[in-house]
Parts: sequence; structure tokens; C-alpha cells
Amino acid sequence: MKQLVIIGNSAAGIAAVEAIRKRDKESKILVISDEDYPAYCRCLISYYLAAEVKEEKILYRPEGFYKENNIEILLNKKVERVDPKKNRVICEDKTQFNYDSLLIATGAHPKFPEIKGLKKKGVFGFRTIKDAKDIAGLLPVTKAACVLGGGLIGLKAAYALAKRNVEVKVIIKSMQVLSQMLDFEAAHFVQKRLEEHGIDIITGSDIVEVIGNGDIKAIKLDSGKAFACSLIVVAKGVEANTDLIKDSEIKVNEGIIANNLLQTNIANIFTAGDVCESYDLTLGGFSVNALWPIAVEEGRVAGANMAGEKLNYDGSLGMNSIDFFGLPVVSLGIYKVKEGSSSYEELKLRDEKKNIYKKLILKDNLIVGAILVGDIKSSGIFLRLMREKINPSSFKDKLLQENFSYPDIMSFLKEKEKEKVYV
Amino acid sequence: MKQLYYEVKKCLGCKSCEIACAIAHSLTQDLFKAFNEERLSLPRKKVYKSGDKNYPVSCRHCQEPKCVDACMAAALTYNIAKGLVEHDETRCVGCWMCVMVCPYAAIRPNLKARIPLCCDKCKDKDEPGCVKACPTGAIIWQEEVVVEK
Repeated sequence: MKQLVIIGNSAAGIAAVEAIRKRDKESKILVISDEDYPAYCRCLISYYLAAEVKEEKILYRPEGFYKENNIEILLNKKVERVDPKKNRVICEDKTQFNYDSLLIATGAHPKFPEIKGLKKKGVFGFRTIKDAKDIAGLLPVTKAACVLGGGLIGLKAAYALAKRNVEVKVIIKSMQVLSQMLDFEAAHFVQKRLEEHGIDIITGSDIVEVIGNGDIKAIKLDSGKAFACSLIVVAKGVEANTDLIKDSEIKVNEGIIANNLLQTNIANIFTAGDVCESYDLTLGGFSVNALWPIAVEEGRVAGANMAGEKLNYDGSLGMNSIDFFGLPVVSLGIYKVKEGSSSYEELKLRDEKKNIYKKLILKDNLIVGAILVGDIKSSGIFLRLMREKINPSSFKDKLLQENFSYPDIMSFLKEKEKEKVYV
Repeated sequence: MKQLYYEVKKCLGCKSCEIACAIAHSLTQDLFKAFNEERLSLPRKKVYKSGDKNYPVSCRHCQEPKCVDACMAAALTYNIAKGLVEHDETRCVGCWMCVMVCPYAAIRPNLKARIPLCCDKCKDKDEPGCVKACPTGAIIWQEEVVVEK
């Protein structure tokens, strides 16, 4: 009997398991996770910290999931090393498991910059349910907190802390929030909304030191300013968890490099999710797109291929959506173009009063990116136009209109992509 | 499994289906009373004009639904037995991932209530409200037709 081993028990791992079981009920599946928790909705930890989501709603799959699908799950177990020559994984506790086929879906971890005092108690990453619980535990004695980093994770942490009546300051090195997802104009709308709800945003500043003898007393910035706080959340990006393959022949760049089958350079080792560097549709090169929906897509394809199929993955792309205090935001593909770059065209609509900002970026008559603030209802169509590489020239004037809809693109879809409900 | 189909040339764009849909998903099931409900019931179906024709658009309950894959809260699930994309409001956090990935833009955001609007084929009724309400018979409720791809 074949043994399929899956390292990682989150979006990609679970999607893979489901894809395998859809095709193969027999093989043994072993899932190994270094967390002490059954699969949960990682992106919901901010809502959990905000007390908007209860713990029982954070589980990603029903309680009986592993048993019903005949999966052996090992929690709290960290894989130290993969040995592709012997088809074996070796754990930190020295236990070993052989595999016929392996999926590395180890995810990523928060980057901690080398800053004096950043190893103190009261400094947290914001990645796991444990992080959220540890922070929640300190809330009764926390009056003020600082969040380092103005990306999605940082802002979600800030949102949660603000909801729990903690004074929050977000310290951002760049000049805008969400600099990996929005342009300066769109970021302005988000920043304004957060500030209206009592979250302080300090841009163009970086931390130089955590002040405090033992406990955290304050943080000091490069501007010379200091802010009193007793809790710090570090949200300065994530790094793929690739330690386990560092001495192997598996190819790795920023993430583990995957081909169009989500296979690594070793035929029976697959990779998916935040650890995976896959072909990026909009960039035209390889990139790590550490996002929940991408992790699920990749996990699904990797799982199917582990079960013997030859499913092709078209590629990933940066895409994200979020809602801050009633302001919805979606970002797809390329969101910022270098100034003076003539090969790109921008279509833009801005309505400050209605809090609406929409921008499409085109290259060679194809949409390669979109930012939508306030009005996001057509975002799925834009994503489709991007993924299916449909030339929007003949309906360009409609793109940013309020009522732009699926019927407008229907006759331009490739025949095989058409699903007929209109007769 | 029954699905919704649309005979486009019969659609007048009167939007009776939209109103019927909003009522069908209201608490009171009554047009005038529905306006006073704490959370205004919004239609899960929209009629769009494109060229000289009108097209009702709502969730198609895809067999491999992208919205379900993208849902980071596991609020959207696919019920294989019923052929239905189901939305559990108690799990939903209103992150709009589903809206972002729907290839038909059929799931729309109810921004005020912070939940997506998704057709449920009026699963607790004998037939969907939109079908009953259509004055021209443009909305067809019938067993799924297998279209050769």
C-alpha cells in the first residue's frame, strides 16, 4: 500500500488531502503538523482576537474530518529534514516516516528584524492561533500596543486590538499602508478609514529599539520619537519555511520551486501554499504568493497529481480582499506601475465622497492588475479576464462602469470556458 | 438536480425576479413589511442589460466552486447531494474572497451587513421565488442539461 505524507495541515495540506481522497480511498495518508491544533482558519485569528469569531467557529473542517477520510494526523511534530534519496522525512524527535509521494506545505513564518529588545516577552508574531491566544491573554493588562508593519497582517492585528479597546499605533516604514497590495491613492482611503476608527498610523518611520528593563515600556523610532506600549506585534512580512530541505537537492529560491504540476525538481515531491514558489500569471516569472485561496488551489492540484493525475496549474497571482470598518478592498495582480513606464495603461475612477476608487492596469491590451476600493462587485470578472487573458478592447469603456457585469464579457470568452445557462 | 436557466429573448428586464428574490429571503416574506426589517433583504439575483438583451445573473452552483475554495472561513461549502453552494452566515466574516473569485460576479457583497449575497435556489420552498415571479416565463427551472464541452 502506498504511503502519502503531507507536511502541513492548513489550507494547502487539507486541499491536497481532499483531492487525494476524491481519487484514492486506499493509500495511507499521513499529515504532520508542527502546530498543536486541528486545521483551522488561519486568516480568522484576527477576528478571533477581536472577539468577533468564537473559537468553535475557527476550525476549518468538522471534528470528525480526519477519521472520516481515513487520515493519520500527527500534531505538534516538526519535520526537521527531508531525505529525497531515501524517500524519508525525519522529525525533530528523531521519528522517521517513509513516503511514496510527499507534499511539502509547511507554510511560512513571520520575519523578525534584528532590533534591540525585540526578543522581549510581549513581542509577538501574528500567524498562529497560539499567537492570537497569547495576545488575548495579555489584553486585560494592555493599554497600548504597537504594530510593526502596515501590511494586511499588521492592519488586521491593529483592527483586532482596536476592537478590544487597546490604543494602537501602526509603525510603517514605507509611506503608505498595504504597500504590497495597493497604490498610494487607494492606500489613502484605507488609512483614512482606520484613523477614523481610532487606529494611529505612522508612516515613513521604522523602529530602532524596544525600550524597557525586562518588560516592554516603549518603542523608539528612527525619527527619535518614542511611544509607550506594553505589547508589540511584528508584522513585517513572512518567510517560507524551507529549513527542512536546506541540505537536500530540492531547488529553492524564496520558496520551494514548483513546476506546472506543483512538483519540485524531485518527481515524487510536491509543494503548495505559502512555501511554494510557482509560476505567476501576471508577472510572467516565479513568485511566492502566500495567500489562502492560492494555497487551496495549489493544494488541490498537488493532491490530484499525487494521486496519479497530470493536472496542470495555470499559475498563481497576487490577489487579496479585505474589509476594514465597512470599506471593502480588492487587489489583483500588478497594483503599481513604475512611473514613466510607457508599456502600461491605467484606467482610473475616483470618487472621494462615495469612497470609491477603481483602477485597472493594462499591458498589451490585457488586464494585468486591478485595485478596487468601495465598489468591488465586478472583481471576479476582472480576475477572470486576467486569468483567461481576454482582450477587453471592445468593451473598455464599460469596464469601470457601475453595472459592468458577466453578460458584457460573455461573447468574448473562449468557447470551452462558456457555461451555458442562457438559452 | 434542478437548475435555473434563462430564455434571454423573453426577458424584459422588469426585475420582478429581483424583487421576488429579496422577498423570498426576507423574514416576513412580505414586500411592504420587508422594508422595515432590521437587515434589509437584498436580491441575490441581478438583471443586467448588455447590448439589446437582458440577462439575469445569480449563483450557478458550480460543481467546482471557486468561492468555496477561496473561503478562508469555511463558511461556503458545496453540498454534493443537493448540488448547492451553501453559505453559513454564522461563520462568515465578510472578507469578500468569494466576491473576488466568482467568475460570474454572481456573488455580490451586502456591504452593510458584511455578508455575501448568494442564491440558495430557495431550497426550503417548492420552487425559487424568481421562477414564480417571472411574468414572461423567461426563467426556466428544470433538471440539469449536460452541455458538451
